[in-house]
Amino acid sequence: MADLALRAENVRKVYDRRGAPPTTALQGVSLVVRPGERVALLGRNGAGKTTFLKIAATLLAPTSGSVEVFGVDVDRRPEEVRPLIAVVPQEGKPFFHLTPREQVYTYLLARGFARAEAKRRTDDALAQMALEEVADRLSVTLSGGQRQRTMVATVIATEAPLLFLDEPTIGMDPFARRAVWASLRTLSKKGSTILLTTHYLDEAEALSDRLYIIEHGKVLVDGTAQSLKRDTGGSLRVSIAGGAGLSGSFASFGRTFPEAGALDVITTPERLPELLAVAVRLGLSTTVGPVTLEEAFLRVVGRSIDEDT
Amino acid sequence: MASSGAFRGVGAFSYTEFYVQAHEYLSIATSLVVQVILLIFVRILAPDLLGVALLGSILFSVFALGQRVQNEAAYIRIDHKLNELYLASPLAPESYFVGFSVGILAAYLLPIAALVVATVLLVGMTAFTAAVLVAAAAAIWVITCSIGYIVSTLFRDMRAIWPYASLFYNLFGVLPPVFYPIGLLSGSLRTAALLVPPSAAAAIVQWSVHPSVLAPGELLLAALALAVESVALFALGVVWSRRSARES
Repeated sequence: MADLALRAENVRKVYDRRGAPPTTALQGVSLVVRPGERVALLGRNGAGKTTFLKIAATLLAPTSGSVEVFGVDVDRRPEEVRPLIAVVPQEGKPFFHLTPREQVYTYLLARGFARAEAKRRTDDALAQMALEEVADRLSVTLSGGQRQRTMVATVIATEAPLLFLDEPTIGMDPFARRAVWASLRTLSKKGSTILLTTHYLDEAEALSDRLYIIEHGKVLVDGTAQSLKRDTGGSLRVSIAGGAGLSGSFASFGRTFPEAGALDVITTPERLPELLAVAVRLGLSTTVGPVTLEEAFLRVVGRSIDEDT
Repeated sequence: MASSGAFRGVGAFSYTEFYVQAHEYLSIATSLVVQVILLIFVRILAPDLLGVALLGSILFSVFALGQRVQNEAAYIRIDHKLNELYLASPLAPESYFVGFSVGILAAYLLPIAALVVATVLLVGMTAFTAAVLVAAAAAIWVITCSIGYIVSTLFRDMRAIWPYASLFYNLFGVLPPVFYPIGLLSGSLRTAALLVPPSAAAAIVQWSVHPSVLAPGELLLAALALAVESVALFALGVVWSRRSARES
């Protein structure tokens, strides 16, 4: 087994399609994923996350650069990479005229599993995704969330060494999302490596060991949810109602951001008592909470947008 | 895990596609509507041509499978993104293409068999004609499914496919002498008909009933055209399925 589950080196992708101007989707993405890791790719719509995932999953040719999966080049030897991976496509849907049980089972057969093993894995995956009650109903009759769970069940049943999941929990209720998280954690404990994209930052925080933020086809940040939050300047966010025009009074406590008439201050637990005292003196009410990954993400990507303009 | 090599997983994906199609029994049941209406017209207006029309309707039904492969493969790719699920897996890309073709053939065999039974009962069929019919239908199936799969990969919008599909399958499946005798054409039109797969197949089957309808050279031309077209298009389909497994 190679040292890395995935290694991308300076991957560029320019879409040059007839009738449309060339579009640069990736501008030299380099990243690594170690075996057994759960890594999240974050970024705004159109940042290049899906393009990268498709290249790594042998579904799209890069314009330049290289991607290796367990040491095998995806561009030169895709047929050797494909048995090692499984993909939940973005906005993918199961066959409408198959039941979830048939969908998972037949997919496993197509991957080469023996019937008995395919049946065992199918039952297990359907149970993990809490699909037993609808397992024998045609997918066309299922809700969007149930269909998405069927797609995830189809892929987790493979227990492939490297799983690519492009927005796997989109449209799912909070219980279903947590069921997916639990399954993915179990899979990574068994040795599978997971690379996912998501717009749910709580999901990225709960699920990923590391994350990459991609913006305009470039890796903006490589780190953990904790390090990203730390980089915003503190672990606490103090929201001061009606304080939008008072950033000068609070600037010494940390970074300040006006937010819908309020003033948000990112600060540390050590500076909090002093900051609250100033707010009380000024007759302002405050709300204190932890800095979330979403805030950190918005700050990082927002800073990048500001720098670009 | 799957064994390595070309066409790995083809049986399993054919089985999947057959399962999918089998749930759409209304489509299967209504797949003969056009053929049956045409046969009724022929029975009323030109009963002596019923045998030709029946054999033609069998070949046309096989030819129409390509349109089903085309629509299914395009729908699964454009609307369901399931091509990504299957192509990023040990399933060989050519198995994905052949699986659609075999699964859809298996699902639609019953109505095609019904036409064969009707032919046997209404006009009779010799063993020789049956053998020629199976060979000609097999060639048509290979050709039409290859074209259908290749075309399915060329469009990014389902609605864009429909007019081309309708035009293609009517132009080549209804217009040339498939439902009517090749003997009604002469000159360059007759030669062209012997090069177009459905009418070449129909001409060969008509020859198996009435050897006088084709000169030996014409029979050779039609048989060669069918053989070359089926081998070439199947090879192209395999190459294309491998190439299109990864977008450029």
